[in-house]
Amino acid sequence: MEKHHNSVTRTPLNSVVVQRRSKSKSYRLSYRSCLGAASRLGLTPALTARRLNTSRRAPKPHNITEKVDAEQLTLLVKTEWQLSYVTPLYQFRHTQLKSYSRQLSAFIAAEKQQGMAVEVEGPQKTFRVSFSLVQGLTESDDDAETVLVQIYSKPLFARQDEPQKPVWSGWLTCINGNPEYLGSLPKDFICLPLFGSSGAEGLTTLVKSWFQQSFDCCFGPLEISHTSLQWLMALWTNCHNEYSIQHLKMIWTLPAVPPLQVTYTVNSEDAWELWGSVRKGNRGGGGGGGGGEEAEEESSIDIEEVRRFMQGLQSHFYRHFRLDLSAGSLNQVSTALGSAKYSGRIKISNSRYMITTLTLLTECALLKMPI
Amino acid sequence: MAAKLNLSGPPDSDTSSPNDQSVSSRSSNRSLRVADKARRKNEAEDPFVLALKYFSDVEAGTPVYGNDDVERNMVLVEKVAYSKGLSPEAISIMLEFAMSLRMGTILCPRVLKCLIPAAVVPQEAVVRAFVWLGVGKIPVSTQILFIKWVLTVFDMIDAKDQLRAIYGFIFSFVTEENLVCVFIFFLVVVRVFRVRKLLELQSKLGRQPFLLNLLSLYKVFCPDLVTLSIPSRIKSVFRNHNMPWRSALIAVQKRDGSQAASSISPASTIKDKTNPRKRKHCHLVLPALCSVVNKEAQTEPSSSRKVVPLVQLHSFAQLLENMHRIELPAQMGSLLGSSLALQYLDCVQDESALLRLNFWLGYALHEEFLFCGDGGASQNSEEALQFLNKLLSTQHFLQEGFSSSEAFLYKFLNVWDGSLLRPQILGLLSNIPVIPSSQIRRLLFEPLMQLFFTSSLFFKCGLMECLNNMLLKWLTWHSVYALEDDLDISLNSHTSINMTLSGFKDSVMELVDFVGRLASVGLQLEGCHSLLLSFILDFYETVCDTFLKYGLPLVVIPPTGVFYPALFASDPVSVDRLAYIMYRYKVNLTSAKSQETEQAFHISRQTFREFNHYAVVMVNCLWNSKMFQPGMGIQPGEELLLKSNVPQYWMSFDLIHHPAFMSYAVDFHQKCWPGRKDMDLNSIKHSKPWSWYLEYLFSQGYDGLKQFVQSNISRQKAAGDGQGNSLST
Repeated sequence: MEKHHNSVTRTPLNSVVVQRRSKSKSYRLSYRSCLGAASRLGLTPALTARRLNTSRRAPKPHNITEKVDAEQLTLLVKTEWQLSYVTPLYQFRHTQLKSYSRQLSAFIAAEKQQGMAVEVEGPQKTFRVSFSLVQGLTESDDDAETVLVQIYSKPLFARQDEPQKPVWSGWLTCINGNPEYLGSLPKDFICLPLFGSSGAEGLTTLVKSWFQQSFDCCFGPLEISHTSLQWLMALWTNCHNEYSIQHLKMIWTLPAVPPLQVTYTVNSEDAWELWGSVRKGNRGGGGGGGGGEEAEEESSIDIEEVRRFMQGLQSHFYRHFRLDLSAGSLNQVSTALGSAKYSGRIKISNSRYMITTLTLLTECALLKMPI
Repeated sequence: MAAKLNLSGPPDSDTSSPNDQSVSSRSSNRSLRVADKARRKNEAEDPFVLALKYFSDVEAGTPVYGNDDVERNMVLVEKVAYSKGLSPEAISIMLEFAMSLRMGTILCPRVLKCLIPAAVVPQEAVVRAFVWLGVGKIPVSTQILFIKWVLTVFDMIDAKDQLRAIYGFIFSFVTEENLVCVFIFFLVVVRVFRVRKLLELQSKLGRQPFLLNLLSLYKVFCPDLVTLSIPSRIKSVFRNHNMPWRSALIAVQKRDGSQAASSISPASTIKDKTNPRKRKHCHLVLPALCSVVNKEAQTEPSSSRKVVPLVQLHSFAQLLENMHRIELPAQMGSLLGSSLALQYLDCVQDESALLRLNFWLGYALHEEFLFCGDGGASQNSEEALQFLNKLLSTQHFLQEGFSSSEAFLYKFLNVWDGSLLRPQILGLLSNIPVIPSSQIRRLLFEPLMQLFFTSSLFFKCGLMECLNNMLLKWLTWHSVYALEDDLDISLNSHTSINMTLSGFKDSVMELVDFVGRLASVGLQLEGCHSLLLSFILDFYETVCDTFLKYGLPLVVIPPTGVFYPALFASDPVSVDRLAYIMYRYKVNLTSAKSQETEQAFHISRQTFREFNHYAVVMVNCLWNSKMFQPGMGIQPGEELLLKSNVPQYWMSFDLIHHPAFMSYAVDFHQKCWPGRKDMDLNSIKHSKPWSWYLEYLFSQGYDGLKQFVQSNISRQKAAGDGQGNSLST
């Protein structure tokens, strides 16, 4: 939007502009109210009351395997990730990953042996960190490239020649991030709002605090909300005719005393059938007559459909067990395509639909942005 | 990569000591003997001078044991040292005596311990002592004692240039003698090879507090060379070692009446956070002030300008000196933790920097108050309280709010119970900038309305105060621009908030109207509580002066729901304040009317009408005893009034019978006619007593009433038919 502003103040060196009318200048900045038209982030939560999209494109299988490095993809797919949201990174450079690796490993070493100073350039014996780009894992031009961080270490009593093993991994990504939001950020910010980590909690904390200190960002926990879980269910179910979801499993918690946990598993065919019945228009009809418009209709899923799908599942359950699930909360959903928990843990089992899931999660993460 | 900085404070040039010994104390370079001689002439008989002379003249090799002279002189010196402190010459003499080992090593520690300077420590003496350190055979424990002493009095050394010159020499003590040479901490000249050396030493010696402190300083200067995390246990080691001196020093200085040696100890920059217990959520902890690590990523290759990280500045003078080349810290949130940094924040023009700060602040507020599902806010309300207070004081210091706290408030108001951290939240709320009138209702009024009508009287008062402050800030903001620009230029030209003058007026009008509605209903709900009324009148005191005080051509008259409760209030203060407000309205309106044509703005005729109406009501009521006249605001039916059985109801709110002033009337009556048995208040109505009565009222401090009467009523007709209304449209 107002990119021309940045060119003047890109480097901190120019930050202090000595001006005669500095007071009015400072007022101008201070008056960058979150409502002002010239606000950096035109998309203020207060004004637009950002919500999850009420309609999204149906997942299409992506041939992501052709674009993304196989080894990285395997790592992304086989692991369950704990999610966090991250405010935009200041002065993050994709070209500096090597130097970041050195810094982070020195930082970890220093933190691990409290009170011992560590030379940044020196080789680290205990922990080795590698930053790498995950090329090809972007959808729109506004998205910053995904960054993968891996930490290797040797077991405590390992032999000398034993190779270091990966002990922690994490990534920062942005898939189909809201272009308005991304565009409103000044150039020296990189928005990678979704952070997934897997490995020892202690290392996660260290990595986070290193990022915080290095790029002036903040990490907060990202839950997968009730609505997002329902979306995931619908999106995954919608893939069934291309890739069998095998089962649709939900875990509910009902506010009874003692709390009642309900595991509700639906046969994939039944789920697919129910999904078909709540979809707008009749999908089972003759294949020929559709044309472009219908294809368009078909490829987008509306929140109404998701809601009806949930209602269908709930009323089915009620008929059998006389338990109204809508009184409880959905904690976990899983299919053969992946699993997601309210606590913010996600596993994406199939790379073909990874983009869809990550798009939804990116959206959730952006919703958490303070400004 | 070498960074060098003068860490010393301003030279203590004006600390000329009032001590009798140090009349010529600053001449530290003068030969000690000459100084001694000069003084001998004056104070030849002073035993302390003799003692010093003894120590400066004593032959090398004189035995200590059994030597009564030494003991006597030593006690003398100690006595003076602990009571008044030692003059620079005395320090030179004693230090020279101790370090030269003229009487062996036994006395050395004892002398060092009593080296309490009264004013300054001559650099020359310290340098000489270092030389002795190199040649003498001083035991390691004494060497350490010496270094600690230097550290303690470091701020009182009169110059440091020579010390800095022998930095390399001093550094060698670290490596060769394993000496706690934290001294170089203060003179630091960072070099890469020194970092390596220190790291090597560390691997040999393990984690030693002195090395830690030195290295942490290197981290401040060269974060790209060394990284380090300081465990909380070790933090205090560095500071405590010199406590005996410190306390003696403070005691001496206190007795002296001079200020304690002000020093921002670099130790405090290392990490001053005390985190007594581990918190589950740590988002309210201010980040530590750290310099940026990834410098190569930031500075453009072409510009090799030297920048000074904020961490390295310790005084306001240094800040001013380096204003043009200050490097912002790695985490902008850390600026809130340091008062010095706050000074700088006021000048920060870098939009990205402010955005960084806002991201951090918004994150902290959201996590603490909105995202914490498990009642996080109430759990650690003490921390939340401190955090918000810090934020508030920052905003007051900067005289502006942060946009992230604004965005947070719009969300938080919808879930707020009106009692959690009420003063703080209302304080933040009063700092929000002008909201466009199209948004103001949804963002502000709707949540506030709900809170207002469902909360206690105290909340209502608090909110009134908050909205008054908000209005004041908006108007002040406007007046700043009104001074800079011509009034008719839209504000748009200068501010990035896209608001024209008329847009601004609309917003102000919306706010004033809103408060008017709240006030009317609030007064009804609370039975015209005088506390609430007082806060409401505060607000209208701001409103009535918008034109003259803040240059905003807008006059909004209070609604009847505020006017009548104030007019009929049972306390005279409220009526007086209302009178003052009406007086100011009149002054503003008159002034606006005279300027209207030349300045191209327009005050609605309706406003004049409303004002005149109120003025007539007030004059009729208080002055003319003509309540319930046709054409006035309140007009109950004739039968109803008769039914009320109030005799002469038309008089019941004049200045004599008004419940707020009745007691004054009675008092006046008694004073005026002390002999009268039967009280007839109506007799005050007569021309003479009436004007006396008015004088009497005004003398009680009712200036508002006085101004109102003087501006609205011509006193010649004071006999009772005074016609108040003077403004016509």
